[in-house]
Amino acid sequence: MPETRHFQRVPFEDHFRLSRDDIQRILGIAQSSGGRFAEVYLEYRVFNSIVMEEDIIKETAESISLGLGVRVIAEEKTGYGYTNDLSFEKIKKAALSAAAIASSPTTVRVVNLRTVHPPHNYYRAREIPHRAPLERKIGLVQEAYRACQKSAPAVKKVKAALLDQIQYVMIANTDGLLVADARPLVKLSCVAIAEKRGKREYGFSGGGGRVGLEYFSSALTPAQIGKEAAVEALSLLEARPAPAGEMPVVLAPGHAGVLIHEAVGHLLEADFNRKKTSVFWDKFGKKVGSPQVTIYDDPTLPAFRGSYNIDDEGTPPRKTLLIEKGVIKGLLQDRLSAGLMKMPLTGHGRRQDFTDMPIPRMANTYIEKGDHEPAEIIRSVKKGFYADKFQGGQVEDSGKFTFSVSSGFLIENGRLTAPVKQATLIGSNVDILNKIEMVGHDLAFGLQTGTCSKEGQDVPVNDGCPTLKISMMTVGGLE
Amino acid sequence: MTAKTGPADLLTLAERLVRFGKASGADEIEVGIGDGTEFAVDVRLGEIENLIEAGSRSMGLRIIKDHKTAFAASSDLAEETLQRLIKNAVKRAELANKDECAGLPSLSSRAIDPAGLALFDPHVGRLESKAKIALALETERIALSDKRITNSHGASFVTNEGTSVLASSNGFLGEFQKTHCSLSVGLQAGETDERVEDFWFSSQTHFKDLETPEKIARTAVERTVRQLKPRKIKTQKVPVVFEPLMTAGLMGFLFSCTAGTAIYQKASFLADKLGDRIGNDKITVIDDGLLPGKLGTSPFDSEGVPSRRTVVVQKGILKNYLCNTYAARKLKLRSTGNADGSGVGPNNFYLEAGPHAPSEIIRSCEKGLLLIRTLGHGLNPVSGDISRGAFGLWIEKGEIAYPVSEITISGNLGEILNSVEMVGRDLEFSGSICGPTLKVAEMMVAGEGSR
Repeated sequence: MPETRHFQRVPFEDHFRLSRDDIQRILGIAQSSGGRFAEVYLEYRVFNSIVMEEDIIKETAESISLGLGVRVIAEEKTGYGYTNDLSFEKIKKAALSAAAIASSPTTVRVVNLRTVHPPHNYYRAREIPHRAPLERKIGLVQEAYRACQKSAPAVKKVKAALLDQIQYVMIANTDGLLVADARPLVKLSCVAIAEKRGKREYGFSGGGGRVGLEYFSSALTPAQIGKEAAVEALSLLEARPAPAGEMPVVLAPGHAGVLIHEAVGHLLEADFNRKKTSVFWDKFGKKVGSPQVTIYDDPTLPAFRGSYNIDDEGTPPRKTLLIEKGVIKGLLQDRLSAGLMKMPLTGHGRRQDFTDMPIPRMANTYIEKGDHEPAEIIRSVKKGFYADKFQGGQVEDSGKFTFSVSSGFLIENGRLTAPVKQATLIGSNVDILNKIEMVGHDLAFGLQTGTCSKEGQDVPVNDGCPTLKISMMTVGGLE
Repeated sequence: MTAKTGPADLLTLAERLVRFGKASGADEIEVGIGDGTEFAVDVRLGEIENLIEAGSRSMGLRIIKDHKTAFAASSDLAEETLQRLIKNAVKRAELANKDECAGLPSLSSRAIDPAGLALFDPHVGRLESKAKIALALETERIALSDKRITNSHGASFVTNEGTSVLASSNGFLGEFQKTHCSLSVGLQAGETDERVEDFWFSSQTHFKDLETPEKIARTAVERTVRQLKPRKIKTQKVPVVFEPLMTAGLMGFLFSCTAGTAIYQKASFLADKLGDRIGNDKITVIDDGLLPGKLGTSPFDSEGVPSRRTVVVQKGILKNYLCNTYAARKLKLRSTGNADGSGVGPNNFYLEAGPHAPSEIIRSCEKGLLLIRTLGHGLNPVSGDISRGAFGLWIEKGEIAYPVSEITISGNLGEILNSVEMVGRDLEFSGSICGPTLKVAEMMVAGEGSR
């Protein structure tokens, strides 16, 4: 784990110019008005990007994000202050802003910070992306671009991009915790636009994760990414509009996990249950779905985009069982909700950056494999919709959710027939969970390119799912 | 690093970085710096939930060397960091490819005086924390006093004050200050398994333009409870009436399809359509960066190009794409002052109001769907295809009959623009993209059963 070693060798003083004593002082100021808990979050992040389009490396970018956030919790209230000016005067102001939430008589405790190391390393980066020579990274982008372009003459426009980042975080709190993490993340993606008979369509592919550039020599090559984007765009040119109405739906394995992310994951985030806004709040331990459905969120899957060694509150994450055989078994917790609900931490307190407070978030969410043959599942449908490629989805607390399918097939008499495009599927989560009739044994994960938005905060995630049959669902196509 | 916050200091820093960039080998360089403060309070069930107060600064720059481009950004404004970023950018630019269209705009002889745009309300900065918290509490209290409301997502009051400066090697030097405030509340009605939810908000540059807590609360309540006890409907094609917020969503999609960056990449169904009829004569769409006091107003864009009013669609004819300097050069057009970082962004982008009262539009429908909310994405700019989850009110014989949910609407933006039958007169600038009530002749609404 070279990154972690590197981080420990370069002490946080180098990035933040703050000593352990400084941090203890800041925690002291944060507690000057009381409050049961105070925390300092320090972040230093470097992003790099390379974009190729119209056959040229068009632009590159380097961005630095440096800052500090101070949080104070007093009962159910949270005060937060942040600054990217790390002069002591500004940090003190941020700490006092956070402290303003509390108003009890002060008994400032002296905090003795203990350095803790994350117990596991889930990152798999040998050739660290942010330190690799630009020429090397440009080579990967060009390879994806060219593979896409030469796939077919109908491919008219290509855009390929490599994004990488390293995020150093350090968290200190009044429980005495002092912990740091260095999180690598890389994504190579390609968009193809194909044109035929005046019709235009686009295709997307990509890959990456918490990996090094060696990933693109073994797990998934740039050429594969480029070709897949082209294949999707080309196949959409031949696709007809998706059907409209209620019908049986079969989900292809992999990124269809977005259904689980929307329909289940968000509504088992602890904050929505503590506030009783989630349709699941009164259903803990109760059956909400078919016995074939078992769902986990696992931030410890090595190399995955959604994984981390510690969450953004310093908690080592745990593989968390959310639903077992249709029964709700767990919630995704952060410190605030776990404390108020008197439930154990799961390590799902995440934030986009130092300007944000942590909130319960998913990491890598998936539905456990079942025991059906994928072919058998398709054969069981007389007339229906096979959802193949996905764009994303949305859910509201009532359980109504959607997800968008960019391409799929009609199922007729147990066989995949005409390719179809663009449909939004809508359902109500408890209803759909009960209609999951068959679960395949072919669990697969999405492209390692996903991002989830909640309350204006974006974090990297992934999701997964085996072939899945929903007995009836509303498909919003054009025909 | 010392605490410098005055606009003069930011301008000096930006100018110094421009000089450093030139000295480091850049042919051209542009440096923008933002300095802002944020206050946010979230209250829920009568108590403060979160209180956030902060200040932050950020810098973004672009370097051109030998017709090659590199960008950099930083929230660390230590001068040594910024100088290192500039040197790195010059090195990176050398490794990119030559692009004849790359480069900064030439300096415009026209300059907009920010003072005439009413961008800054000193009252926003003078509001006491207590007063701001009270506004959020009052809004939620009024909403919760309605017995039909069963839970709250909370109410929030947010203020921002910011200074933006921009300096370029082409000689541009500009700065402006801007304020923003918003008050919102989110609600649920009905019991756990039949929950419906919605919210309402008001977002403005000037505090005096904000809707009152009473108005926001009442609107949020009404919008929430009208969805109680929804029915499912059969899959069918019907006229669809878009409420103003829904029209704004449609305009957001149209904006992304008229952005010059999407056009030259052929990533829009409106590519190669300049001068063509893309909608019927009820459709006039404007992008205006000069409307005093509006959310999308500014004196210049992120490249220092002065803001202007651009007619995007005039009575159905596509008149202009919205361009930054780069997209304009690719398309052999002129920048419309829509540069936003490395891409293109809207100023105040809106569908011009029509003659009809919203009630008259609903009365005109023998049968139809009043679209009140959408869920999910399902927008494809390359084809113009739209497919989204939807919530609405069913219209029968010109009257609202009952709420409907678990439906989807689908259509194509090109076809929608050609089949708009009525445009409302209720245009309000509640965001930087907006529009009035709109009636579309027919869209596919999927619900129960199949066709």
